Amino acid sequence: MNELVIALGWTGMFGALALSAIGSIMGCAIAGQAAIGAMVDTESGQGRYLGVSVMPSTGVIYGIVIMFTLQREVTAGSAPGIFGIGLLAGIALLYASVLQGRACASAIQAMKVKPEIFGLSLAPAAIVEGFSVFVFVFALVLAGNIPA
Amino acid sequence: MAPQDRYLTLLTSLPAHGPLFGAKQTPLSRLRLRKRLAWLEPEDSEDLTRLAAATDWHRQRFDVDDEAVVQQAEQAIAQIHNAFTRDLAGWRLELRTVVAALRRRRAGEPAPSGRRKWGFGRWVPHIARHWTEPHFRLERVYPWLPEAKRLMDDGDPLGLERLLLGAVWTHLERIGAGHEFDFEAVIVYVTRWDLVARWTRYDADAALARFDALLETALTGVDLDLAA
Repeated sequence: MNELVIALGWTGMFGALALSAIGSIMGCAIAGQAAIGAMVDTESGQGRYLGVSVMPSTGVIYGIVIMFTLQREVTAGSAPGIFGIGLLAGIALLYASVLQGRACASAIQAMKVKPEIFGLSLAPAAIVEGFSVFVFVFALVLAGNIPA
Repeated sequence: MAPQDRYLTLLTSLPAHGPLFGAKQTPLSRLRLRKRLAWLEPEDSEDLTRLAAATDWHRQRFDVDDEAVVQQAEQAIAQIHNAFTRDLAGWRLELRTVVAALRRRRAGEPAPSGRRKWGFGRWVPHIARHWTEPHFRLERVYPWLPEAKRLMDDGDPLGLERLLLGAVWTHLERIGAGHEFDFEAVIVYVTRWDLVARWTRYDADAALARFDALLETALTGVDLDLAA
């Protein structure tokens, strides 16, 4: 039983990074494909499309920081907390990155047609980013309360 | 990749359509569109071809009777795998059936008999039953029907064509909502491209007729000079 609890602790610790990385991979792939399509159709502004397409990569950065914050000696006392925070933060960041990728793809499509709405079209992706920051910050706050 | 993101690159590589009746030309040439559509999966590409076979006017055979045309359309639609594409093809052929019924009645034809297939879709028996009603009791289903009848009665084919193209455009707008980067979005884009191509070609035809008239006038002068 003790070994299972400790295994779950390690799962939570690395889960934060692994799940957020999966989200960033999918989000960047979605937005990246949209950027490539837009590049085929336009003669200028390709750098902007590429810049927008990497927005979902922030998820994995939050995941790395959460993993290091959770990093400590995994004991029967600390493992449940590490598991809960790491796993749930990872799932939240995964979803946020995938959907941010879709928002970025739509933004690329919109800014290709109307370049003047470049900033506005990024608002939905930025709002999704805000929710990721909530997850990140409160995961850090709660990580400080995990018993040794 | 999720089905709703399947054609991200293809759809973002296609230039956007403007309003139908403001267009001077298609947003990209037929050749370029065909090249981009080469990115479709084979099954989707076949569905697009079958949709075109069922709905493109230039692919229709006019040397056969109505029953054969309807049978041909039913076969083409039955082979379409994608439900959205099948529904769109069916909707367009039903619209044409209603307009054909208006034309037949205006030409003085009696109500079609139930024995022979003369139209496509669910409204065929309904139209035959309500042949004497001004709009076949379909004005709630097709709100543009009274206006279409009026334009037909007034002998305004261009106005009628404009109305029908506008009705298809609006329908595409409605069914295309929520489809951004999937195959359904490709179908909507290509169908809209066809509408724009048709509308802009009509303008080209008008310009050609005008050019012919001008040329004829100019050549008449030349003939006179030669005769002199």
